[in-house]
Amino acid sequence: MKRNKHLPLTETVYYILLALLEPAHGYLIMQKVEELSNGEVRMAAGTLYGAIDNLLKLGFIQPVPSQDKRRKVYLITEKGKEVLQLDFKRMQHMIKITEVALIKK
Amino acid sequence: MAAQGYQLVTVSFLYQFRKAKPEQSTIKIDYRQFKKEEDFQDYCALFEDSGWKHIAGTRYSGTQYFKRVDPNASKDIFSDANSKAGRYKRLSIFYLLSSFIFLFYLLMTSNSIHFSAILNPKLLYYTPGLWEKEGISFWSSFLFETPFAFIRGFGWWIIFLTFALYIFYSVNAAWQYRKSKEIQHFS
Repeated sequence: MKRNKHLPLTETVYYILLALLEPAHGYLIMQKVEELSNGEVRMAAGTLYGAIDNLLKLGFIQPVPSQDKRRKVYLITEKGKEVLQLDFKRMQHMIKITEVALIKK
Repeated sequence: MAAQGYQLVTVSFLYQFRKAKPEQSTIKIDYRQFKKEEDFQDYCALFEDSGWKHIAGTRYSGTQYFKRVDPNASKDIFSDANSKAGRYKRLSIFYLLSSFIFLFYLLMTSNSIHFSAILNPKLLYYTPGLWEKEGISFWSSFLFETPFAFIRGFGWWIIFLTFALYIFYSVNAAWQYRKSKEIQHFS
C-alpha cells in the first residue's frame, strides 16, 4: 500500500493536531502545545500562524464558530484525525521495533 | 533607533519616529497580506496575545511590524528555520507580482514610448509655432513646457526603473530564501 504523502508529520504539526482535538484559538494552541510537550516545543506567533494557514489549506483543520470576534477558533477535521492516527501508528511501530532491538543487545 | 531615543510610530510611505526615552527594543518584520479583514484581525490578535504588539502595517501593505512588549515573549516571531525562510518566499512573490503591474502598464502604454524623441527631443514639444518664436516669448513657452515634455518623453523610464527595481527586490528576497534554507540544512 502506498504511504500517505503527508507522513511523517513534523513535531509541531503533530502537536497542533493533537491540541485541536478540542476547539482552540491561536494563542490557546500555543499554550497547549507547550503543555503537551512538557515545555519542549515553544512556538512563536509567526511560525504558528504559518502552520495554521498551511493546515487549513490541507483541510486537516477547520474554523468553527465562536463568541470571540477577533480570534478565530479551529478544530481538527476527519481528514486531520486520519493523518494523526496514521502518524501515531507509524511511531508506535518504531517504538516497538526499537524496544525489541535495544533489549536484545 | 530606539536605543538612541527614537520610537517608531508608524510606517506608511516613510518611517515616522517620535522622540522618546531611549530603550532596548526588538522590532521584527513579517510579510503577509490578507484576503479578509477578520483574517488580519486574527493574525494581529495572535501576535498580541503572545507579547508582540502590532505597530505598523495594514491588511494590504504586506509588511507587518511587531514590537516585543512582553519580557516573557519569544525572542523572535519565528521559532524554526523553515518558517523564517518562508517569510522571504512570500516577500519574493509579493515583489514579483507588484512588478507585473508596472510591466503591464508599460505594455499597455508602449505606443506612447517615443524612441525617436531620444534623437530629436523637439518632437516632445506640442506648443504650436514654438520653434518660430523668439526672445522672451520663446523662452517662457519653452521653459513652461519642458517639464511636460520631459514626462511625455521619459516618464516611461520611471515606470521601467520601478519595474526593474521590483524585479531586483524579488530576486534578492528569493536569494535570501535560498540562503536561509541552506543554513537550515547545515545546522
